[in-house]
Amino acid sequence: MTEIDHARYLYLIANTEEEQSLGDIGLGDRPVYTIVFQDIAAVVHASKSEPVPAKSEEQAEQWILNHNYVIDKATENFNTVLPFSFGCLARGDDEAIKRWLQKNYSLYKRELERLKNSAEYSIQIFYDPGVLEKQVLKTIPELEEIDQKMKAMPKGKAYIFKKKFELGLKQAVSDHLASMGREFDKLIKKNATQTIVEEKIPYVPEKYAGKKVMVAFSCLVAKDNAERLGQSLETINKREGFAVRFTGPWAPFNFVDLGNIENDT
Amino acid sequence: MPIRIDEKNLKKGVLGLVVALVEIITELLEKQAILRIENESLNDEEIERLGEALADLNEALETIKADNNIEDTVESVRCGLDEVVDDVVDKLMNPSRWAKEVEKHDRNRPCEIPLLDS
Repeated sequence: MTEIDHARYLYLIANTEEEQSLGDIGLGDRPVYTIVFQDIAAVVHASKSEPVPAKSEEQAEQWILNHNYVIDKATENFNTVLPFSFGCLARGDDEAIKRWLQKNYSLYKRELERLKNSAEYSIQIFYDPGVLEKQVLKTIPELEEIDQKMKAMPKGKAYIFKKKFELGLKQAVSDHLASMGREFDKLIKKNATQTIVEEKIPYVPEKYAGKKVMVAFSCLVAKDNAERLGQSLETINKREGFAVRFTGPWAPFNFVDLGNIENDT
Repeated sequence: MPIRIDEKNLKKGVLGLVVALVEIITELLEKQAILRIENESLNDEEIERLGEALADLNEALETIKADNNIEDTVESVRCGLDEVVDDVVDKLMNPSRWAKEVEKHDRNRPCEIPLLDS
């Protein structure tokens, strides 16, 4: 630490009474340590007051990985943590951070207790439109009939009936997905404390190329329920035409609720 | 600050938007045609004429998309419009969403942790 390190880069808040070093595992191999107030602590590294931009995309990626590594390591050490997003810098020294913890103690403690022994998991359910269309087609004789009749129709009439067939099939697949969705939702919610539907999925692995996203959730799951949730998802994964991507455990990024800090302090 | 316009991108964007809108109108016409057939308000000759016109229009749109390499642009415009329409319909059907939107907006207001500046 140098005289110019007048800020602290924040990784998380954890349940611990112990002042300790987590090693040189921070961004740019900075030493990471805890600043304790009573029985909670901020996990930080000492930093200059002004944010230093990454020199390259690779360095930025490496820093993000470092940030998440510290959160993973701290989760192993302290069980539940309240993680900060990448890039949170607090102006002030260790004493200032301590005063900040003191000011918001009840809020942080409440959240740490609420999220105790829980972790965040990510669930993405994909479907194969081709497989589902075949399954649905077998159950609707009217559509099969249109499909057969079209072959003998003149060009114009066949075009309109092809559109009718496509619209009917699309609606039938959509109804089938809605009904499956209700079933899957029950299976997931049975073992999850809280769920949030993700509107956008930033990354889909190559393995799922050609499939469409049915739904994506972030779930808060008690550690005792994680295995049961995994088993439920396995039953969905085994269904023809569906695939499940289940990742975690992560720190509960999406489930920390600190309300409006300004009003609470 | 001057606005820089890439003429090629502008042409692709505008053409993509026009083709996407024509595609949406065509689909509405197709749905209308299907409804009329189901209501038996068209005879065989009229169905054939209407079907041929719609098929020709569809073929022309596909040719324009391929010739101008705007398949992705059209797809992207249509996805964007779908999202806007979904959002509007969702808000109209679920007024509780309005409260959530307001709450989300308030939460996203930039705020500083007061003590850290002291």
